[in-house]
Amino acid sequence: MKTIAINRCGSRSRREIGKYKVSVGETCFHCGLCVEICPDGVFERPDGFNCLSPPRSARCLGPDCRKGPYHCAAKCPVGSINIEIDPQWKNLGDFRWTPDLIITTWRQAETGLIPQDHLEYKVGASGGGFDSFDFVIDPAAADSLAAADTINLSISLNHRSEGSRIEIPVPWYGAGMSFGSVSLPTMLARAMAAGAWDTFTSTGEGGYPDELIPYRDCIITQIATGLFGVDEASIRRTRIIEFKYAQGAKPGLGGHLLGDKNTPSVAKMRETIPWNALFSPFPFHSVYSVEDHKKHIDWVKQINPEALISVKVSTPSDVDMVAVGSYYAGANIIHLDGGYGGTGAAPEIAKKNIAMPIEYAITKVHKFLVEEGVRDELVLMASGGIRTAYDIAKSIALGADGVIVGTSELVALGCVRCGNCESGRGCPRGIATTDPELETQIDPEWGAQRLVNLYAAWEKQLKSLLGRLGLRDIKELRGRTDLLRRADES
Amino acid sequence: MYKRYHLNTSPAKLPSTRIGKLKITRNDKCLNCGRCLTFCIYDVHKRDAADPRKMSDPASELCKRCFACIQNCPQEALKMGKNEVSEKMGDAYWTPQIIHTIWNEAEEGKIPVSGAGYGGPFRGTGFDAIWTDMSEIVRPTRDGIHGREYISTLVDLGRKPPWISDFENPKLPLSLEIQVPMLLDTNPLNLNSKDLVLSVIKAAHRVGSFAFLDIENYRDELKPYLESVALRFALDKIGQDHSVPWEKVRFIEILLPPEFSNSKLEQALAVLKERTQTVLVSLGITDPRSLDEISPLFQQERADVLHFYADTRGKSLKGDSFICEAIRKMHVEFVRKCNRDEITIIGSGGLAAAEHVPKLIICGADAVVLDLSLLAAMGCRICEVCVTEHCPAEVDKLTPEIAEQRLVNMICAWRDQLLEVLSAMGLRDVRRLRGEVGRAIFSEEIEREAFAFIFERNGPAK
Repeated sequence: MKTIAINRCGSRSRREIGKYKVSVGETCFHCGLCVEICPDGVFERPDGFNCLSPPRSARCLGPDCRKGPYHCAAKCPVGSINIEIDPQWKNLGDFRWTPDLIITTWRQAETGLIPQDHLEYKVGASGGGFDSFDFVIDPAAADSLAAADTINLSISLNHRSEGSRIEIPVPWYGAGMSFGSVSLPTMLARAMAAGAWDTFTSTGEGGYPDELIPYRDCIITQIATGLFGVDEASIRRTRIIEFKYAQGAKPGLGGHLLGDKNTPSVAKMRETIPWNALFSPFPFHSVYSVEDHKKHIDWVKQINPEALISVKVSTPSDVDMVAVGSYYAGANIIHLDGGYGGTGAAPEIAKKNIAMPIEYAITKVHKFLVEEGVRDELVLMASGGIRTAYDIAKSIALGADGVIVGTSELVALGCVRCGNCESGRGCPRGIATTDPELETQIDPEWGAQRLVNLYAAWEKQLKSLLGRLGLRDIKELRGRTDLLRRADES
Repeated sequence: MYKRYHLNTSPAKLPSTRIGKLKITRNDKCLNCGRCLTFCIYDVHKRDAADPRKMSDPASELCKRCFACIQNCPQEALKMGKNEVSEKMGDAYWTPQIIHTIWNEAEEGKIPVSGAGYGGPFRGTGFDAIWTDMSEIVRPTRDGIHGREYISTLVDLGRKPPWISDFENPKLPLSLEIQVPMLLDTNPLNLNSKDLVLSVIKAAHRVGSFAFLDIENYRDELKPYLESVALRFALDKIGQDHSVPWEKVRFIEILLPPEFSNSKLEQALAVLKERTQTVLVSLGITDPRSLDEISPLFQQERADVLHFYADTRGKSLKGDSFICEAIRKMHVEFVRKCNRDEITIIGSGGLAAAEHVPKLIICGADAVVLDLSLLAAMGCRICEVCVTEHCPAEVDKLTPEIAEQRLVNMICAWRDQLLEVLSAMGLRDVRRLRGEVGRAIFSEEIEREAFAFIFERNGPAK
């Protein structure tokens, strides 16, 4: 495996939002004691200056620090340091992505380290699913953390006896985000990070921009119902082909790119007319049965016999049947996208109400595949609301082989989940936009480093968790629901 | 010639500045550097028109919570807080979010679309304990430019006999078509502006449905719209001489009090029959248990529609069950008696969002009745101050034209969202959705099934 370079990579904005606000009063005489004692770098005296920089509040641990010997407010000789909760912090995020989760994801993307305990970085506050579970850690079985480097996180993306062998060193890869829903620099950043980690990212359905070709070994070509930008060259170029039947955020509705975001460059890639809203139909107009689906797979296998086939479906109540159907049609990977998954634009009624959350679908499909005797032939990948390393571990404990992440990558790039990706100029932060001016806010190299760091922090957490669970390999965790308990159980 | 059903929407703004969810404040550390202006793409920050050296006060109602200005202000001069007025709107059921959504729908007539995944609680109670299903392999339901329009939302009010018994003298029952499975109620809280009552009725007329109107509020100027009015009588008001042009009335309702004597109801129905023969009769009940007493009337073909009233938060006035369970129970009862098609069940109370329409239909209703949501569409903040004092949102001062257009816009947005839900299931007709509980995922059941490993150890979640 390649060595992964973790470099500190801070936010691009002048001021990062944190939970605490550190303010320094006018009595401060810049003695610099706080610079010496604070281990988290809140205070800084730039080289050659007598005065301190304004405090970097986002790094402050808040009241947790009071217990330790580093508490600046108590030590300040003139008592001019004040620490309080920043009331703005509460306006970030929502139930699923709490302010804590957003801030800790930013911190992981900056440092590549496991976040400190003062913020909740493992679960959100949605009150159900992943957020209602934690792991049963038996102290007797727990290994020492030092053994972390002997723990294996790799998974294979092909469990059938025939076909190419592809293994990824971590149990996740990147979700499909089309050119049009996100900007090219964002796609590039994701591709570069996937390349650094030897895992994958997907093109989404808006075509395969030439700029991505250098990263071809880690890019999945998606074929979705609109067939936008699908050509033989991009199918030949890839090691995995993903058929997108449905998307969790808008199951059964097809895709929708609002006219505002269909700029001339997007339209060219999609072979359409600029500024027209683009609909992907639902379903594939060539697929009305599992047999038709098989024909589809045969068609791409003709073009690229080496490629593995992934089938992305959403989570209706008969998702278990759909999974088995896909298996018999020849899929290598079944990708379940749960109802609370991300999107660049979807009707709110669909995001909230249509189809079930991923947590239910994983157990349903896993159980059914086991009963049908085909579980070890098919790779089950889950997506749709997987935010943290702990969500990854819980998905696998519920029965998935690995997961696919999307929103958390965007949060690492600075997304605040304001949800305005769909229209106008798109994302004001330059992520989910096609506006030529706004997209310059993301530098692909910077973005790739942030993602590399986030992945590194996740890897550390998963290894540490497996160690504490007494497991040596992520594959041993699959289906171990006995290791999960409801968080409210004592 | 066949004419496709179509609703004309057009933007209809409220006269007052809209209430935003957030409040952006600028403190006196601001240097007027204008950095916020470059970073904000929503025009929240602008230079003062009178003195361009200064920044004007932020237009908070345009803020979309992207934090770009806050994070890039060199002086930390900007702060984002919640807008108190917005926070205080409504209650735990009619949340500020629900009210804002209705306002948007009423203003634009469009389906609310946004980016990023759903951010709300994992599951909830009432309507939030239900997910609707979808089908992975269906016939095409959206075909690029056209497709959704071919889904029918037409519902028949009235009885559908299973067969015709006498071919010589076929007795066809009265049936009224509504184009959307939504009826309107002119009586949410105290809609005391006469103009707005007319707006609701006109909106019902335009969308091809009915509006319920208390007989006390009937006036002659409503006569042209009487074909879209369901006249509602309290049980003891029947027989009093109302100056109603009976020949124009198509639909009436007798609203039964929680306690009533059956003989009085019989008497009222007899009086009614003297007045008119060609009218659809609805019986309105607030207590699900009243059903035992009145269900023979449906068998005797003396009543056609059962209208269950829950309170504005969806709770039944007696028995404390949620409207979904109450309707589901009634539906099942008639299915068991094999006469479900000889009655129409409608439900009102607690219908606050577009998704509640398909969900109540899945539970067994043929159509739903909208009440408080109509008021919200007209700009109401569900504060209920109007019970005693003057309306702070000045709903009663809205011009009738804007009120009507806003109602039509909201109903159109809700219908379009109903089409989305139907199309995800591959259904082409809303009548096929009625009682199809297999088209829904109930959170308690799926939790028990999927998380059996935890239930077996610990039982249901606390």
